[in-house]
Amino acid sequence: MDVEPETIEQLRQSFAYGSRSNLNFKFLKGLSDDDFGAFLGELLSAVAGATDDGDVNRVIDAAYRWQLESYSAHLGDPADFPHRHDDIPLATLDKPLSECTIGLLTSSGHFVDGDDPRPFDVDEMTQTDAEARIAEFLSAAPSLSAIPVDTPASSLKVRHGGYPVASVAADHQVALPLEHMKSLVDEKVIGELAPTAYSFVGATSQVRLRKQNAPEWAEQLRDDGVDAVLLVPV
Amino acid sequence: MSVGHVQRAIESIGIPTVGVYVRSFGHIPGLMGVARAAITKHPMGRPLGAPGDGERQRSVVLAALVLLEQREQTIIELPDPWRPKAGGSRA
Repeated sequence: MDVEPETIEQLRQSFAYGSRSNLNFKFLKGLSDDDFGAFLGELLSAVAGATDDGDVNRVIDAAYRWQLESYSAHLGDPADFPHRHDDIPLATLDKPLSECTIGLLTSSGHFVDGDDPRPFDVDEMTQTDAEARIAEFLSAAPSLSAIPVDTPASSLKVRHGGYPVASVAADHQVALPLEHMKSLVDEKVIGELAPTAYSFVGATSQVRLRKQNAPEWAEQLRDDGVDAVLLVPV
Repeated sequence: MSVGHVQRAIESIGIPTVGVYVRSFGHIPGLMGVARAAITKHPMGRPLGAPGDGERQRSVVLAALVLLEQREQTIIELPDPWRPKAGGSRA
């Protein structure tokens, strides 16, 4: 049986939820075929250089440069950005940061072991399953997971079909900086860390989030007594 | 974009916010009209720093938190390039 040869476009797209899925490189889908060739050329030159001098930063830099290039190209005309706002809601602190209770919220997809948000009523959904169902996540309302800030790192879980979670899973403070916040309390940079941090899967229905969930979550944070909030999009 | 919506909603009810955005999403704070943002030169999926690089993570958190005292829209880009330490904690 003849097999159709894979096109460059199919190759690029295979890294984004395809046969070679690797969310570190899903940006390849957004490059033109010509730019994909340029990316490969640059990457190989960097590998050759690193082979001689051991400086892998040049490899990291090449991959990063093309990640930026892809997202920048994908952005297109800022006037067409779908969630553009010309107004800027602005609140101000009414006391020094050192006296403030700070809330923490991230779109990392963290939850506490034993308190799984069970997307689509699935028990113990895996990261692989979450990636496979990314389209469903993007059209569904998000769920907010409450994370008591004294939760030990060993009880934290992370699952999110939209980004490569390995770095966050290896060290939760990559996105959920509970211990750093506590040390900043000890040093009196901030007053307190609010007792509950929050996380949700940022790959979600933007309309539902904006109209329904975001205002509810804001009220929740106010009820928690926070004076200000640190947000960490992933 | 998701966090931009949340950041706007929180700010709208009178609570100051700051977000840490990776540079690939660095256009979002300006276009969405969020109050305060620190943009890092970090690759997607590592907003505060590499796994095991507590020093970078903490410095980004601190740089963001101090922005909370700003009384007008403030978006800064943190200058440090992505330079993970050999032997970070990723398995």
